[in-house]
Amino acid sequence: MELVQACKQALVLLFSGNADLWTIIGISFAVSVKAIVIATPIALATAFVLAFFRFPGRGLALSTVNTLLSLPAVVVGLTLYLLLSRSGPLGDLRLLFTQKAMMIGQIVLCFPLLVAWSHAAIEAAERSAWETAITLGAPPWRAVLTLLHEVRFGLIAAVIAGFGRIISEVGSSMMVGGNILNYTRNIPTAIALETSKGSFAQGIALGFVLLFLAFALNLGLSFFQRRGTLGP
Amino acid sequence: MTAWNLQVRNLRKHFGARAVLDIPVLHLEAGHCVLLSGRNGAGKSTLLRILAGLETPDEHTEVNIDGTPRPWLRARRALRRDVIYLHQHAYLFDATVEANAAYGLRVAWTPTRQWRARVREALELVDLDHLAGARAGTLSGGERQRLALARAWVLQPRLLLLDEPTASMDREARDRTAGLLKRLKSDKLCMVITSHEPHTLATLPDDHLQLVEGRLQAAPPPAGPPLWEVEGAAPAPEGSVPRPAPSAGATPRLWESRG
Repeated sequence: MELVQACKQALVLLFSGNADLWTIIGISFAVSVKAIVIATPIALATAFVLAFFRFPGRGLALSTVNTLLSLPAVVVGLTLYLLLSRSGPLGDLRLLFTQKAMMIGQIVLCFPLLVAWSHAAIEAAERSAWETAITLGAPPWRAVLTLLHEVRFGLIAAVIAGFGRIISEVGSSMMVGGNILNYTRNIPTAIALETSKGSFAQGIALGFVLLFLAFALNLGLSFFQRRGTLGP
Repeated sequence: MTAWNLQVRNLRKHFGARAVLDIPVLHLEAGHCVLLSGRNGAGKSTLLRILAGLETPDEHTEVNIDGTPRPWLRARRALRRDVIYLHQHAYLFDATVEANAAYGLRVAWTPTRQWRARVREALELVDLDHLAGARAGTLSGGERQRLALARAWVLQPRLLLLDEPTASMDREARDRTAGLLKRLKSDKLCMVITSHEPHTLATLPDDHLQLVEGRLQAAPPPAGPPLWEVEGAAPAPEGSVPRPAPSAGATPRLWESRG
């Protein structure tokens, strides 16, 4: 019964426009969207190079990326904390307990996933797609765009998976963000804090947001896969 | 279309220690159609891909286009401009039939009105105009090959390289493809066509060469009557002997062999 009661309170909090709650949601989205926007083009370029070129160290690079897929968020947080703390090598940048530090942590976390998934999607593309673009007169950069377009659903899936990974991570954001109200407190760190205080309603409300987000992202992916009309 | 000719000298290609191609001279010119046969792994596709600028030959390969000799690497851009290579299984982009046909024109920044008119003409030529708005993925094998031909035709290439264009096609699809190839040939387009079944293309090519251990040589006469006739060509009399391969002395040789 306590759970039902907490859920009711959570819905009231959400739909009454509770300022604290919506600020937390806003911070979460702002940080994670910026992180994924920065990481995606770099990860795509890396994945393309790994998929299309053969060079010494390529196998090692792929193994490293795959290993980093299981990188715990708290380890990223700890490493960044040591780097960014006052006595650390990057302490002069004064980034610790800022949204930028949270963003860096999230970029590190989603990058291997973006590379691995994009690499798999690009490798699955037929080589004849690239050759057809080239033989029809496309310059190499245009052929790259054509190829990426051909595997766009795999790439969208990579971005969705990457976003899902960082919007819900708590370890890194907690350690390098500091969970400061109205500044670095995001959905996962707020859930952890509210739960430790025994205030379940806000935690559940934020959990609803995360669940709704996951549902919406999956619906969007299915929609694009069915329609397949992102344009040539 | 202006006369065009391509001469490739010292065309060699190794995969590791294995020599795949060793062709001292290969000469192609506008309006000429060459049928290239050979066993699996003989190097037919590799030769076509090198001519299309998609694969790099060994060093010292020299390309002479319209009288201008250049090393292959420097000629690659010109080859990619003048030559179109059609894969055995045509790759169609995940877009509409019209968008596929327009691809080459659009990447060349052709104004919309111009490419639309040209693409409409091409789709009418291959009898796919009624499917212009359909997704390319919904086409049959024969329709895919015709769309690939239309996509190449709009770009007015000088040389069209077709890798097994009629493989896995039924008779009707082969007939239609053959009719299109004949039309392209009459437009003074130079073509090189590879085939495992040379007798299926007996009435189209001017020359029939075969690759044996990486070297070009005149092919023996086809083993049987053609499976189909190109539209407009006179049917072979019943019981007649299939057309023999052209003799080296009848026309200037297109290739040279070592030894």
